[in-house]
Amino acid sequence: MTINRRAFMKAGGLALLSLGADPLFLDRAAYALRSAGGRAAGRTLVILFQRGAVDGLSMIVPAGDPFYWQERQRIVLPKEQLLPLDGMFALHPRLAPLKPLWDQRSLAIVHAVGSPSTTRSHFDAQDFMESGTPDVKSTPDGWANRYCRHAEEHANTPFRAVAFGPQLPRTLAGSAPALAIDDLRTFGVKAARAEGEAKLTRAFEELYEGSATGLIASSSAESFEAIRMLKTANPSANPPANGAQYPTGKLGQSMQQIAQLIRAGLGVEIAFVDVGGWDTHVNQGSDQGQLATRLDELGKTLGAFNTDLGDRMRDVVVLTMSEFGRTVQENGTGGTDHGHGTAMMIMGGDVHGGKVHGQWPGLAPQQRYEGRDLAVTTDFRSVFSDALQGALGPADIAQIFPGFTGPTKLGIFG
Amino acid sequence: MRHISFAIGIGLLLAPGAAAQAPMTSLDSARHVLNRLSYGALPGEVEAVAREGVLKWINQQLGFTEIGDPALKEIESGLDILHTTPVQLQAMQQRQQAQVQRAQAIVDSTARMQALDLLRQNQQDGRQDLRFLFGELASVTVVRAVQSDRQLPEILADFWTNHFNVFIGKNQDRPFFPEYLEATLRAHALGRFDELLIATAKSPAMLLYLDNAQSVAANSDLRLLAMEQMQADRNRPGVVLIPRSRRPAFNLPQRRAVDSAQMARLRQNAPRGLNENYARELMELPTLGVDGGYTQQDVINVARILTGWGVDRRDGSFAFRAAAHDQGAKVVLGEKFPANHGEDEGMRLLRLLASSPATMHHVSAQLCARFVADAAPDGCIDDAVRAWKRSKGDIREVVRAIVLSPDFWAPRNVQSKVKTPLEFVVSAVRALGGTPDPTPRTAQRIAQLGEPLFQKQTPNGYGESEEDWVNSGALLARMNFAVQLASGRLPGVVIDLEGVVPLTPDHAVLVDQVNRSILSGAMTSHTREVILKQLAEVADPGAARALAVGLALGGPEFQRQ
Repeated sequence: MTINRRAFMKAGGLALLSLGADPLFLDRAAYALRSAGGRAAGRTLVILFQRGAVDGLSMIVPAGDPFYWQERQRIVLPKEQLLPLDGMFALHPRLAPLKPLWDQRSLAIVHAVGSPSTTRSHFDAQDFMESGTPDVKSTPDGWANRYCRHAEEHANTPFRAVAFGPQLPRTLAGSAPALAIDDLRTFGVKAARAEGEAKLTRAFEELYEGSATGLIASSSAESFEAIRMLKTANPSANPPANGAQYPTGKLGQSMQQIAQLIRAGLGVEIAFVDVGGWDTHVNQGSDQGQLATRLDELGKTLGAFNTDLGDRMRDVVVLTMSEFGRTVQENGTGGTDHGHGTAMMIMGGDVHGGKVHGQWPGLAPQQRYEGRDLAVTTDFRSVFSDALQGALGPADIAQIFPGFTGPTKLGIFG
Repeated sequence: MRHISFAIGIGLLLAPGAAAQAPMTSLDSARHVLNRLSYGALPGEVEAVAREGVLKWINQQLGFTEIGDPALKEIESGLDILHTTPVQLQAMQQRQQAQVQRAQAIVDSTARMQALDLLRQNQQDGRQDLRFLFGELASVTVVRAVQSDRQLPEILADFWTNHFNVFIGKNQDRPFFPEYLEATLRAHALGRFDELLIATAKSPAMLLYLDNAQSVAANSDLRLLAMEQMQADRNRPGVVLIPRSRRPAFNLPQRRAVDSAQMARLRQNAPRGLNENYARELMELPTLGVDGGYTQQDVINVARILTGWGVDRRDGSFAFRAAAHDQGAKVVLGEKFPANHGEDEGMRLLRLLASSPATMHHVSAQLCARFVADAAPDGCIDDAVRAWKRSKGDIREVVRAIVLSPDFWAPRNVQSKVKTPLEFVVSAVRALGGTPDPTPRTAQRIAQLGEPLFQKQTPNGYGESEEDWVNSGALLARMNFAVQLASGRLPGVVIDLEGVVPLTPDHAVLVDQVNRSILSGAMTSHTREVILKQLAEVADPGAARALAVGLALGGPEFQRQ
C-alpha cells in the first residue's frame, strides 16, 4: 500500500519534471481558488485529543448524582458556580464559553464513554483510541488515516488530513497522506534571500524524490505539494473573523490556523490537534487551579473557533476525546488517579445538540467499574463513527474500526 | 505506468539494504559504529577508526573512564548550573516566584507592567536567574554530545534520560533536575541496572515528578504529617545549609504553639492517602513493561510499599518518612511483603523489579531499538538478555552483547534508523567540525525540530522510531537548519568548513569531497546529480560550497544513521 502511494507521488514528480508543470497541482490550485470565495467546498472533522486523561466528572459534572458530592472534598465544584445543562449534568464554570453553544443546540455531550480495554496505562489507552482497535497493539495505522484511505472519492489534496504539532499523531499515521504542521506561518523551505527560496525548495524536492526511502519519501513529497498550495492560497493572511479572540498558547494558535485552512478552502477533511496537562494526580483544584486553567483554555478556544467560523460551522464538526477518565474518589493528594469512563464533546455541523447522550451508569460504589471508576456505557468507537459520518457523510465503518460490532449511530447526528 | 515501475526500480536499487549486500569494508564498519554508538563521525574519524580497528574503539568507549576529555572539563567548570545545589536552585525559584507574585499584585496596571518588565530584564541578564541556569543545562548537554570523547556514554546518558524521563517543566521537580541528570543518570549510565533504578527511585526529581513524595498511607496520622510539613516549611532551605552528615540525627519539632488556622490549612492540603502515579509508571515504563504481568492490585501494593519515600526539604535529599509509610502486609507479583517493614521493603521491591525476566526483556528490547533497529530484532534481544543474566545487569555487558550481536551488523540494519532531532543537529555540527558556544541557542534549534531537551511532559520520554520523528513539517525544519548551518548563519555555532571541504572551483571535486567528508560515502548517484545541477548556476566557490553542504546535510541520506 505504501509503495503504491509513494510510487504515485514519485510519478507525479517525474511528470512535473518532464512537462515543466504539474497538471494535478494546477487542478488543485483552481480547486482552492474556486472554493475560497463561495460556500464550503467540503466538510471537516476536527479531532481534539485531551492527552493525559481528563477528569470527565469535573468537565461535565453529574451534579444530580448524590455520590458525586460524597466522594470528593478538595476538588468538588461549588454547586452555585456550576452551569446546569439539564436535570442531571452541569458544565464546569470555566467552560462558560460553551454554554451558549449548548443553548443553541450546537453542542452535544456523551458521558460515561470510553474503551472496552481495561488498561489504565496512558500510552496503551491513547494508542488504542488512536488506532481505533482496543487491545490490539499490532494495528499499523490510525483510524482517521483508514478513513482517508477508504473514502478516496473525496478531493485528493495534501491538506485532506492535517495535524497541528511537531509530530504526526497515531490517529493519522498510515499509508494515506497526512501533513504535520507545527506552525502554518513557518511551514516551508527558507533561504537567506527570499528570491532564492523557490529554487532551494525545488532542489530539495528533487533530492528527496530520487534519494529518499520509506516514510521520509512519502512525508517529504507531501510537504512539497503542501508548500505549493499554501503559496497560492495564503491562509495565514486571514485574521480571525467575527471578532473571535483565541487565547494565547499552542491550542488557540493551532485552532486558529485550522480555521484559516478551512476558510481558505484547501480541502481539509480531518484536522487534528492535541493538548496535554490533564493528568491531575495532585492538587487538581476545583473552580480554580490546574484543571480549571486547562478547561478555561479549552472553553475559550472552542468558543473562539465557533465564532471565527460563523456560518461555516454548519460544515465543521469538532470532537473532543481523552484516553480514559479518572477515579470517582479523590486520591490522597487532592487529585485523581487513572480511571475508566469519561466525557466527550461534539459541536458544530448538524449535531443533535443540547443533549447529553449515552446512558448514565451512576456513581454508587456498586455501579462503578471495579468499584472505583465511572463505568463505560458507550464504546468510544460508537461516538467516533457517529461523529465521523455526521461530519463527513457515510463511511465504511467496518474498515475504519475493524472488529467493532457495536452501534455506529448514537443519535448524535441525524 | 512506465513512470511507476521506473520509480520502484530506482527505489530498490538505492535501498540501503541492497547497497550493503557486498561484505562491509572496514570503512563501512567504522561508519556504522560511529553512526550508532556516537553522535556521528567527526571529520576524518571514519578513516581513523577504520585504521585503528573498530573493536578497539568500541572497547575504549565501553571502558570510558580512561578517556580524559580535558577540553570538556574546562567548559564544564565554567558552567554555574553544574555547581549549584538543588537547595540553592529551590531558594532561587521561590525568590523569583515571590517577586513575580508581588509584582502581579500591584493594583495600578502601569506600575504592574513596569514591575514585571523590570523583573524580566533582571532575569535576562542576571547569572542568578533560573532560566539562565537551565539554559546552561540544555547547552552543556549539546556541547557534551558534540565534543565529548566519551561518545557512547553520552549516547547512553540520552537513552536513560528518556527511559527514566523527568519533565523539567514541573515546578516542584525543576530544582532537582540538574542533580538528577548528573549524579543519577549520567553517573550510572554504564553501571548496574538495579543501582540505576534505585538511584532514580530515590531521586527527589523522580519522587516529585511522579508524585510519590506526596503519597502516604491511607491510615497515616494526619496531625503528625501536618507537623512534619510545618517543620519542613520552617526550615525551608536557602539560608544556612548544614550538610546532612553534620546534622544531628534528629530534628526535634520546635515547641512553638501551632497556630490553629495554620494547622487547619495544612491539614486541608496535606496528603491523605495513596497516589498511584509512580507505582504504575515504574512498572510500565522503566521495568516490567506494560505487558509485564502486573495487575491493578499490584499497582496499589507497590504504591503502598513506597509510601514514605519522599524528599527532605531542608537539604533536598531523599528521606524516608516512617509516619507516612503503610506498615501492613502486601503482595506484589506473587511475592509476599510481610507487615512491619519500612524503607527496606521498597529496596527489596526495586531489586525484585530490576531482576525480573520481564524487565530484562523489556529494557533489552529498548536498547536494541536504540542501537539496532526500530523493531528490535529477537536475536538482539536474546543476546542482550543472556548478557544481562550472566553479568547480573551490568549495562556495559548488555551493550557490548548488542553491539557484537549479528543483528547489529546485518545489512538491513545499516544506515536504516532515522536520527532524532538531537542526533541530527549534533551529527551535522560534528560533521562540519563545529563547536557550539555555551548559549542555549543550539538546544533551541533542537527544540524547534521537535525535541525540547528534558521537556517531555509524559513519563515515557522521547521516542526512538521513524514514526516518532518523520513528518512533513519536521523534515522541512531539518532542511532549513542544514542550509543555515552550512552557510555559517546559525547563531551560536562556529563551523570549520574549510577544514572539512576545502574551496575548489571544480564542482565535481567539491561534491565528491562533500560525499566523503560529510556523508561518509553514502551519497546516492541521484543526489550527486541533483547537487551538481544546482551548482551549475553558482559561480562563487564559497556559495557553491555552502549550497552543496546544505543540500547534503538537509538531504535524505543524512537523516538516517
